[in-house]
Amino acid sequence: MAELSPIRIFRGLESRKRFRSGGFFLKAGLLVLFLFAPFLFPSFKSIDLVMRIVIFATLVASFDILLGYTGIISFGHGMFFGIGAYSMGFLLSKYGSPTYLNMFLAFFIAVFVSILLALVISFLSLRVKAIFFAMITLALAEFSLILAMKLSRLSGGEDGISISLPGLFKVSSNFGHVLHLDITGRIAAYYFILLCCLILFLMMLRFTQSPFGRVLQSIRDNVQRAEALGYSTFIFQTVSITFGCIVAAIVGGLYAVWVGYINPESCLSTSIVLDILIMVIIGGMGTLYGGIIGAAFLQIAQTFLPDLQKLSQHLFPQASLLHTAMERWLLIFGILFILVVFFFPRGVLGSIQDYMMRRKAGKTLESG
Amino acid sequence: MSNAVLRVEGIHTLIGQHHILQGLSFQAKNEAVTVLIGRNGAGKSTALKTVMGLYAPSKGRILFQDQETSRLKPYHVARLGIGYVPEDMGIFSELTVEENMRVAMLREDEATDERLTTIFEIFADLKRFWKSKAGNLSGGQKQMLAIARSMVNETSLLLIDEPTKGLAPILVDALIEVISEIKKRTVIVLVEQNFYMASSVGDYYYILDNGTAVHDGLMTDLIDNDELKSRYLGISRDA
Amino acid sequence: MFQAAMKKHKQKVTLIGAVLLLLLPLVAIQPKVYLTLTIAGFAMGMLIFLVASGLSIIFGLLDVLNFAHGACFAWGAYVGFTTLNSLMDWVTSTSLVQNIAAFLIAVLAAFVAVAVLGILIERVIVRRVYGLHLFQILILFGTTIVLEELIRIVWGPNDEVMPVPFNFVGNWDIMDIIVLRYPIIAILIGVLVYGVTQFVLKKTRIGLIVRAGVENRDMVQAMGHNISLLFTSVFAVGAGLAALGGLAMALFSLQVYPGMGSQYLIFAFIVVIIGGLGSVTGSLVGALLVGLSYNYVAYLLPPAAVGVNILIMFVILLIKPTGLFAPGK
Repeated sequence: MAELSPIRIFRGLESRKRFRSGGFFLKAGLLVLFLFAPFLFPSFKSIDLVMRIVIFATLVASFDILLGYTGIISFGHGMFFGIGAYSMGFLLSKYGSPTYLNMFLAFFIAVFVSILLALVISFLSLRVKAIFFAMITLALAEFSLILAMKLSRLSGGEDGISISLPGLFKVSSNFGHVLHLDITGRIAAYYFILLCCLILFLMMLRFTQSPFGRVLQSIRDNVQRAEALGYSTFIFQTVSITFGCIVAAIVGGLYAVWVGYINPESCLSTSIVLDILIMVIIGGMGTLYGGIIGAAFLQIAQTFLPDLQKLSQHLFPQASLLHTAMERWLLIFGILFILVVFFFPRGVLGSIQDYMMRRKAGKTLESG
Repeated sequence: MSNAVLRVEGIHTLIGQHHILQGLSFQAKNEAVTVLIGRNGAGKSTALKTVMGLYAPSKGRILFQDQETSRLKPYHVARLGIGYVPEDMGIFSELTVEENMRVAMLREDEATDERLTTIFEIFADLKRFWKSKAGNLSGGQKQMLAIARSMVNETSLLLIDEPTKGLAPILVDALIEVISEIKKRTVIVLVEQNFYMASSVGDYYYILDNGTAVHDGLMTDLIDNDELKSRYLGISRDA
Repeated sequence: MFQAAMKKHKQKVTLIGAVLLLLLPLVAIQPKVYLTLTIAGFAMGMLIFLVASGLSIIFGLLDVLNFAHGACFAWGAYVGFTTLNSLMDWVTSTSLVQNIAAFLIAVLAAFVAVAVLGILIERVIVRRVYGLHLFQILILFGTTIVLEELIRIVWGPNDEVMPVPFNFVGNWDIMDIIVLRYPIIAILIGVLVYGVTQFVLKKTRIGLIVRAGVENRDMVQAMGHNISLLFTSVFAVGAGLAALGGLAMALFSLQVYPGMGSQYLIFAFIVVIIGGLGSVTGSLVGALLVGLSYNYVAYLLPPAAVGVNILIMFVILLIKPTGLFAPGK
């Protein structure tokens, strides 16, 4: 029998460790939470919140593929999200009808357009320095926003497009009760989107943990050495960028399905990229799961902010400065963002990982 | 006042996670040329950069003219009278030779003018290329410019890092002449891998290996010590 | 043989090519309209140059991409707005002297205020992230948000009308060609700023050190110059230039609004990419290119106006990824 090569032994150890580690149970628990969320938090607002967390977690993870794993800052991620959303909008409403076929077609077209655009962007990114690239993607993103608003006849302009959903997902469908819960079209949509996001997330995990993903990280850390080792950095980076952008587009389509209404402000503007940045920084770059934490944080904060404002007004009726500040929550986020980048540059998850690694190193030093 | 213008005591320097200098100590005695020699990666350049303040030592101290300079910023160190010629020469290619010299000057006064006159005596070519773009000079001329620049202020100590790197042998000889001239005016710490250069101008030597000084003494002794040379410098008699 | 000849005359060829390109629109536009558009284009170009130059210098020397530049731009406009509002008598008076005085005071106020802001930003924020481009971009992005929100808090979230000195408004009628006054003023300001920056860079000692620092920061430090002081000053000046641009743009478009920084930042980026990061001359050329092409295309084919600049940017990137000019020029 052939001896196991060191690499195989290493991988075997890793996969065994994976199932036994605490992290695994945490992830499993999270999955269960998402699966049973509609039953646990039946109100409309809560389900919406959970769904948004799922959707944005996936979006942030796709952004992290570019940022944390490929080492590229792209402000254009909102564009791909918008492409997916508008695709869905066009095919289900403006230029088509709400059928399942059109839904699949929308995803298909979104992916196709994204691949083209991502290739253009990749080609550029490797000709210029990182900073140029960031600026270019910013310019492109603004441009696409203006385009969407100006070509209002084509895109629905500032008013946007309302989407009606096909059959199963129709708001009016009802499939009876399960455990006190009305299974409406909305719930069906919830599980559909959850399933899609789960698949996408698993794909991204597989991508980053594959040999391909490892090479990618080595490129991110030291381009020259990777090239010296014979890897065509261009191809790796292009594939990675394209992959991340495709996922973003699909998520955009899913978002359109859930929210039922798209317009340039919510789907294409730079505030989306801003939100993504905040989420990925808080959650942790280079850790796909960080997206879940970041998304949870931001979505919960945004949802409960009005309540928080009322609460603060109630508790401190005199502090008008506080009220003004609370109203300008963007200001608070800006400051928070800066503070997080300064003190926790690796985000929540990253800092935890660092802490764990230091503990482990400490242990091996003692025992070794 | 001690007889060593520079004293480096047990410094440790980390670059990122790499522990480059691991307890390095050496002295630069007055009116002499001290050479730091050793193989690649031994920490010679890092030693100079640490003295210059470009790296901050994590442990140990540096004394220049009996004054502690370990934590000073590079511009402060330079103003105390230490000149620096880095490994890559640090020439500003887009600036003319004249502009390169002017950037180096801390004060544009008579004393500087006098020093400039002396510099022109030592470096014949400099005046000729005064208005040319420094980037257009040849390798040897750039090296001369780099050294000339470091002398334009009142310096008590000159740190020179591998000046012969990439130079043709005939230029090395010219360099030896130049340094022999300069050593009359200022103390020099020279980092070199080229033993011919080191032995021609050096008075004292320190052999660096793995971030510490493993051997030191008079250069005249080292020249005859084949065992040391082959062990740390990879030089054999037959080479 | 041909290649060698090309290289020698590269400068002349480029110049001729540029002039030809400039005259191209005459094919489609009548001469009088062309002149108006050209002046407008130059004016717009100069305004963008003011913003872009600061960005270029800051990047060239400090290796920092000032994503907060747009915020400095907006703050300059708002400070100018407040200054002019408080000097209303002079602004509305028909006396040219008083107009100019008010204008200069506004310029000074905007420049100084934002330069101080720049010092704060550099000391508190940028200093910690030198060399780490990713964090620079993120942190300055965050700073922009904070600064824009502060504008909303201090001045309110609405568009405001910008007071313009009486004699700056309107136009001159020269041989049947309508020449708007303010664009000419903007052009003059731009030329002045360019002249001053070039003078400082090429003829003064500080400029010398800055140019050297652009090439090799460490070496300049090792030569005895306090580079951190230099950096802070350069950042402050760059921010001040952005403020100047903001003020000038506000006078041009007759309004101020909180989001104006982000809008023009895009233009500045495009210009800096085209012209080359770190080159003031590059910013000038790039800005003029952007301004002119925007105006010509806006007249001929309005919807394509925004797109044409992006197109130019891409073309330049394909030919010469580092931009038209080398840093430090």
